[in-house]
Amino acid sequence: MKKVLLATAISMALASQAQAEVRINGFANFVGGMTGSDESVYGYDDGVSFSEESLFALQASSDINDRMTATVQILARGVDDYDVDFEWAYITYQATNNTSVSAGRFRLPLFRFSDSLDVGYSHHWVAAPRNVYDIPFNDLDGFRVDYSNFVGNWEFELGAAYGTFKNDVAGGEIKGDNAYIASAEISNDWFSLRGVYGGAKTTFDQAQLNDIIGGVSAASPSFGDFLAIDEDTANYYGVGVEIDQGSWFIGAEYTEIDIEESYTPNDTAWYVTAGLRAGKWTPSVTYESFEGDEVKGLDELAQLPPELQAALRPVVFGLNAQFAESYDVATVSLRYEFDTNVALKADFSRYTDTLNNDTETSLGRVAINYVF
Amino acid sequence: MKRIIGATLIGTLFSLQALADVVVVVSPDNDAAISAQAVKRIFLGKENEFSTGVIPTPVNHESNSDIRREFESEMIGRSSAQISAQWSKLIFTGRGKLPQEVASDAELIELIKQDSTVIGYIDAESVTADVKVVNLD
Repeated sequence: MKKVLLATAISMALASQAQAEVRINGFANFVGGMTGSDESVYGYDDGVSFSEESLFALQASSDINDRMTATVQILARGVDDYDVDFEWAYITYQATNNTSVSAGRFRLPLFRFSDSLDVGYSHHWVAAPRNVYDIPFNDLDGFRVDYSNFVGNWEFELGAAYGTFKNDVAGGEIKGDNAYIASAEISNDWFSLRGVYGGAKTTFDQAQLNDIIGGVSAASPSFGDFLAIDEDTANYYGVGVEIDQGSWFIGAEYTEIDIEESYTPNDTAWYVTAGLRAGKWTPSVTYESFEGDEVKGLDELAQLPPELQAALRPVVFGLNAQFAESYDVATVSLRYEFDTNVALKADFSRYTDTLNNDTETSLGRVAINYVF
Repeated sequence: MKRIIGATLIGTLFSLQALADVVVVVSPDNDAAISAQAVKRIFLGKENEFSTGVIPTPVNHESNSDIRREFESEMIGRSSAQISAQWSKLIFTGRGKLPQEVASDAELIELIKQDSTVIGYIDAESVTADVKVVNLD
């Protein structure tokens, strides 16, 4: 299905090239950073690196007719050695003035900035808060419907998406079937509020984990089934709010991801950010918090025979230790409008690992964001 | 010192120029009712229909022109950087395409003569019989 959609989008983009104008747009983030100690944060360590978050993207779009547009976006990330990846390929149909339908591969419109996450130019950070936005699945293959309208000074946007996702992560593959998302946003000139709910039948396939879970299942099939992430329901919730008065803004987002029956902790993440716009300068501060360390399965474990409990308890805690993560990050950032389509940025973060004796690491980054 | 005075004078001239009256114009054939909010929505890529059901073709002046800056701060109420950030979100999610740009009022008027769906803005003094000034009050 995915291949068919991709092929269709590309061939339509190419076919229309002959008759219609093809618009080429692109964006680039060149980001460099280093930490203040030998602890690593977001892949950075105590030597300067320019590859962790740098990326270059090219987008070609073409009007098939008055109401249909085909878009292909290719993206090269420094962290992948700038290997070119077909990030997005989709066809958008403007069904009515208010409703558009897209089909193909596109960014999962989960949280407030998910859509334009990689377009550094579109936000005030060097990188959007990782605690919320660094999730192991980004792209959805499927459909998306967007509706927008306004009443008086209030605008509202409703969105729904359905499809599948598949991503390589942590030496394995995470897969989501029947993934769906519903979002709603209301806004006026200075205020906006957004809520999102989503779910997916999720499977995580990784050789080492499969062996461990297999061992648990041999001892207790029901407990093995509880721990395994095998077509388990994953739920996503998010709420975001923003007040933007032009000369200053404040925004916050709270998100939760939970795979109920699994070895992975329920992840709760939130951030608050505030900044000023003074001419070409946008100084801002951001505080992020991530919590995901509860040990799952202890109640289920307690129902097993004592000798099994003793044998499996270390496995439960061992798995938890692999996936548990809790940290806070405080960041000061500065954005400078170098030109209408170029922004220069710098930030400094203090990363506190709250799971590990409050170990603190500092991270400094600079960035050039470009759009055309 | 002289140079500073010179620079100040030139600066004053530029700001006087920037204070020229900007008016929103469409084709005389365009019968749509257009409010200040509709203009704002059209130029932010949020509106793609006139009240008559016709798809509007917004046209901008070049990004570093005084008239563009004045239109953006007076009528849209946001800085160029904010507007450009808003557009980058639309473009890279396939939900919009950047308005075409013109280098002069005359060029815009010429476009309006050829295409009755065009909506743009010019200096009030450039208005001719080929365009209709939109009453935004």
